[in-house]
Amino acid sequence: MEKGGSDGIPISIEEINKLKEMANRARKNVIKMQFYDQSIHVGSSLSSIEILTALEMKVLRESQDPANRDWLILSKGHAAPALYAVLHEKGLIQEEELWKIQDISGLLQGHPETFIPGVDMSTGSLGQGLSFGIGVATGIRMAKGTGRVFVIMGDGEQDEGEIWEAMTHAVARNLDNLVAIIEVNGFQLDESTKDVKPKEFLPEVWRAVGWRVFHCDGHDISSVLSTVEEAVKSKRPAVIFADTKRGKGFTPIENTKRQRVVPDVARQFLLNT
Amino acid sequence: MLQGSFSSIREAFGRTLVKLGEADKDIIVITADVGDSSRASYYKEKFPDRYFNVGISEQDMVNFGAGLSAVGKKPVVVGFAMFLMRAWEQMRNSIGRMNLNVKVFVTHSGYSDSGDGSSHQALEDIALMRVIPNFKVVIPADAAEVERSMPVVLNDKGPLYYRMGRDYSPPITSTIDYKFEIGKAYTLRDGDDLTIMGAGVVLWDALKAAEELEKMGISAAVVNVPSIKPIDKSTIEYLARKTGRIVTVEEHNVMGGVGSAIAETVVSTYPVPMRFVGATTYGRSARSQRELLDYYGITQKTIVNAALELMK
Repeated sequence: MEKGGSDGIPISIEEINKLKEMANRARKNVIKMQFYDQSIHVGSSLSSIEILTALEMKVLRESQDPANRDWLILSKGHAAPALYAVLHEKGLIQEEELWKIQDISGLLQGHPETFIPGVDMSTGSLGQGLSFGIGVATGIRMAKGTGRVFVIMGDGEQDEGEIWEAMTHAVARNLDNLVAIIEVNGFQLDESTKDVKPKEFLPEVWRAVGWRVFHCDGHDISSVLSTVEEAVKSKRPAVIFADTKRGKGFTPIENTKRQRVVPDVARQFLLNT
Repeated sequence: MLQGSFSSIREAFGRTLVKLGEADKDIIVITADVGDSSRASYYKEKFPDRYFNVGISEQDMVNFGAGLSAVGKKPVVVGFAMFLMRAWEQMRNSIGRMNLNVKVFVTHSGYSDSGDGSSHQALEDIALMRVIPNFKVVIPADAAEVERSMPVVLNDKGPLYYRMGRDYSPPITSTIDYKFEIGKAYTLRDGDDLTIMGAGVVLWDALKAAEELEKMGISAAVVNVPSIKPIDKSTIEYLARKTGRIVTVEEHNVMGGVGSAIAETVVSTYPVPMRFVGATTYGRSARSQRELLDYYGITQKTIVNAALELMK
């Protein structure tokens, strides 16, 4: 796998630190959200925090024109709390809404919906984001726009057959404005990914069908940013395998299949950090 | 009555698509490797830049269309009815849930893919598609109605499922003058004693049944209900009140399809006795669609028998 390296304008230490602070606040807010609703996917969300922070704060370009803006599709829709926490940092979602997640009167749904500010695709059913992203990227190209499309998927999600359909489709279209990011945290709903279906050969598969394959540390914002920068320069569809940990930074569940803890344990953890 | 000649419904579809593509540069045709079988490939010949064959991958096709519509294109997704159903969840969770402007056009529905047998014959798709919120469901009666309805359908906003067979298309609407509207039913023949209503090519059998009933002194109305969702509640209620008996006919399972949609309207407006003519199980192979309609009893004869039962 190619390692992302930056030859563009280097990002300053101050800016990286600012992004890290945002990611840390978002992380704490996700942990806090489970006080209000205990069914959210904390573990899967914490695995996505740095990637979402890097993309939302530093990469995505905005425009009123759908063909001249960047799109972010959270195909692993169960990480919605992470997206909401980052969109709050971006100023698109009010803090009080975070605490009303999954509440019948709240804005924030258990999985992303396009009626929520900053959400580009309604997801929740795994395996659908990449095909949608190919449609958007193709539409952008037909309109001769400058928009780019980023699709975030999980490693467990790779079990879905539609991803295979989309993987070869993106290559057939030769889309150079599409970047897929696969978070490799090693767990899916029931068990570790290796206990369900083999995943370790996936980078070879993506490369074999014609993708540029990159690798990064999904919890290191600089690594994410420099790799994304490389990936968007590819003249082919690019995929980034991002190593992450489920439950990253929340020691009671970190690197386990557990999604959440009882509120007392979470409260204690937040008090100690 | 029953004038005109037989034609091909998929030919009408392919030709009309090209015509509409001339005027609307946003129409993008996408198919899952059945461009030739569906006649969608006529579009490719004329507008190669606005035509995509995504390969044998219906799930990907549906979300690809969803993505294109999200950037303002008007995708027309084309596949075999049966195989679009493997992407039912994609239609529900992406197109329907986001209320995107994607038109799903299917061919080879019902028994129309006669030779290929039960794996290729979609007898459940109407039931599956009409339960998805935001989706409209339209079933043209014949080739002439394809030409008449497609401009209207493609001008409509939002998700829509458009169901066609293959070649068999007896003349049903070609000699009638009407303006096609989504949500409207059309009287093909007036009558006072009962109403036969349904959708698709089997309305030809309904018209023949009405002629036979007339010889027996029974006056049967025949109504074309191309728009299954939204459905024309006022016309259906009016006919229930006027004739007091309804026979429905469809080339689909009688559970959850056209007859069920009409029955839901009838029981909630003006309940009258009803009978349902349609399929009840999987199809089998045959040399023609007509043979299968006869074999499974979706014919003039069964419609007449259902009508006589109601007249007792």
